[in-house]
Amino acid sequence: MVAVDASGATRVTKPKADNRQARTGWMLATPALVLMVLILLVPIILAGVLSFTNYSLGNSGFGWVGLQNYERLFARSTYEKMFVATFTYVVTVVPISVGLGLGAALLVHSLGRIGDIYKTIYFLPVMATLLAMAIAWEFMLHPTIGMVNRTLEMACGTWLEVIPFFAGGCADGFPIWLGDRDYAIWVVCFIGIWQGFGFNMVLFLAGLTSVHRELYHAAEMDGARSGWERFRLVTWPALGPTTVFVVTISCIRAFQVFDTIEAFWPQGGGPNKSAYVMMFAIFEKGIQQNLIGIGSAITMLFLLFVMFLTLIQRWLVERKVHY
Amino acid sequence: MTRDWWKHLVLILGAIIVLAPFYMMVSYSFKSPGEIDRGEGGFFGRQEMMIDPRCVALRQPGRADIEAARARFVGQDDASVQASLLAETEADCSMRPALFNYSKAFTEAPLVRYLLNGVAVTLSIFLIQSVVALPAAYALAKLNFWGRDAVFGLVLFCLLIPVHAIALPLYIGLAKLGLTNTYAALVVPWTISVFGIFLMRQFFMTVPDDLIDAARMDGMSELAIVWRVMLPTAIPALLAFAIFSVVAHWNDYFWPRIVVTGNRDLFTPPLGLREFKGDGDGSFFGPMMATATVIVTPLIVAFLLAQRRFIDGITLSGMK
Repeated sequence: MVAVDASGATRVTKPKADNRQARTGWMLATPALVLMVLILLVPIILAGVLSFTNYSLGNSGFGWVGLQNYERLFARSTYEKMFVATFTYVVTVVPISVGLGLGAALLVHSLGRIGDIYKTIYFLPVMATLLAMAIAWEFMLHPTIGMVNRTLEMACGTWLEVIPFFAGGCADGFPIWLGDRDYAIWVVCFIGIWQGFGFNMVLFLAGLTSVHRELYHAAEMDGARSGWERFRLVTWPALGPTTVFVVTISCIRAFQVFDTIEAFWPQGGGPNKSAYVMMFAIFEKGIQQNLIGIGSAITMLFLLFVMFLTLIQRWLVERKVHY
Repeated sequence: MTRDWWKHLVLILGAIIVLAPFYMMVSYSFKSPGEIDRGEGGFFGRQEMMIDPRCVALRQPGRADIEAARARFVGQDDASVQASLLAETEADCSMRPALFNYSKAFTEAPLVRYLLNGVAVTLSIFLIQSVVALPAAYALAKLNFWGRDAVFGLVLFCLLIPVHAIALPLYIGLAKLGLTNTYAALVVPWTISVFGIFLMRQFFMTVPDDLIDAARMDGMSELAIVWRVMLPTAIPALLAFAIFSVVAHWNDYFWPRIVVTGNRDLFTPPLGLREFKGDGDGSFFGPMMATATVIVTPLIVAFLLAQRRFIDGITLSGMK
């Protein structure tokens, strides 16, 4: 009875109610809208404009320099090192952390309840403050008193010495890791993988629980006997959307690597700038050296990469999610 | 079980590598400098009494101390009085390494202040995010108004922007407003969470319209509906978002590093640890690892207590 009354009432007063709803709608959305524009959109425009100037904080005026900042980015060897370091990191960390995440998820999933203990352990680095763990890793990798080189030294005098790496290490000392430009970026990559693969594993586990058991039975009926066949025919296609998402989010996180680099090499970005990644370059050029123009140009390139990646992801998801 | 042994082998090897730095961090936080240098003492160290060299150096007995103590050591010359005083000081200054490391962590730097700053900043960010996002999410999900699709389109576009990436222009804006080195600078850029809006909107879409109509019949204003009807139904989603937000901002280092320069009163825990590392000499590994342990522990403990909620919260972004 009440419901009938209610619908009657709304029908009579519809134009008025619509009007009121529109006003409250805008009223409720306005704070968020204003903040969105001020905090997210205006800075992008600002960075875009400043990337064509030689502005620095504290100066009253600035000059337009056209594309000079961008030209520098593609001409100077420092920035070449920046692109090399950033892409080395992304291209190494993304596939390995996604692969390990998937592998760990499949193993943990197949073990049932006992597997949960591994899930907990692998997720710990995701929760821990990365800066603190970076410092812990720095101690582990200390050339003389670090746990890593101490463990490697234990191999000296055993059959492991036939491996060239150990033979060289036992004779002339093991690598100094963070101080060696041949190792520095790979150590940073390793810590990125160490920190990120548990996150990917959890996303894959969520994807795996949604795969229907009947699909496996059906595949078995159709002659998919080996575990690999079942993975290829059922699991992998079903994980498609998850994989696309995991790869994208790993890429975006990898592009943003900063904490480890700053903790290891507060000035300089690694031996011979071998770990001079983009976020560190923005921090060093834009904030520390007050070269806002060049910092803004790096920011714009950075945004371009990240948005491009996300758009690819959305396109892929829309194209092939529907199985 | 027997067929699965190789899986356990692989997973245990992985677990050892994952846990190694945690093991080392906690272990070093218990050990004396000597044990750390020589790499001995197992996990807890031997916990032998150790003498704090700085404490002794600060309390070196001077001329006046010797004169004052003469009454206690009758018939001894100055040198032996001084020696016995020094022995007393050393006894006063000796303690177990674990106690030494943790007490240094809290006394060398205002760690409690850093932790409180961390709590204050993280909680303010979450509260403001909720106050801004919930009404907007409700409007986008349940109210019909002209321009709604445009606003939602803007939300979807903003999801593409990582806030860390636009740190430089944000920093310039805050510097122009004279806001660097304030609590506001630590909080302001995070007050808008487009992800929060998106998430809560998706959740509100599933709330039945009847519930809202009934509340309107009772004469509730739209704002009251948001807080008294929608919020209670959204507690699980909001809790997941809270975990997502708190974990991200407690652990954040990049943004505080940019806007807080030098003013220790504003340091968040990661900044405090960074400074500890910057001015520490070799003998301070123990206290530094104690600081790191103190900073990492709260979230790890919370995670171990409520694993399912945490994993749901952190992987929220996977539900897009």
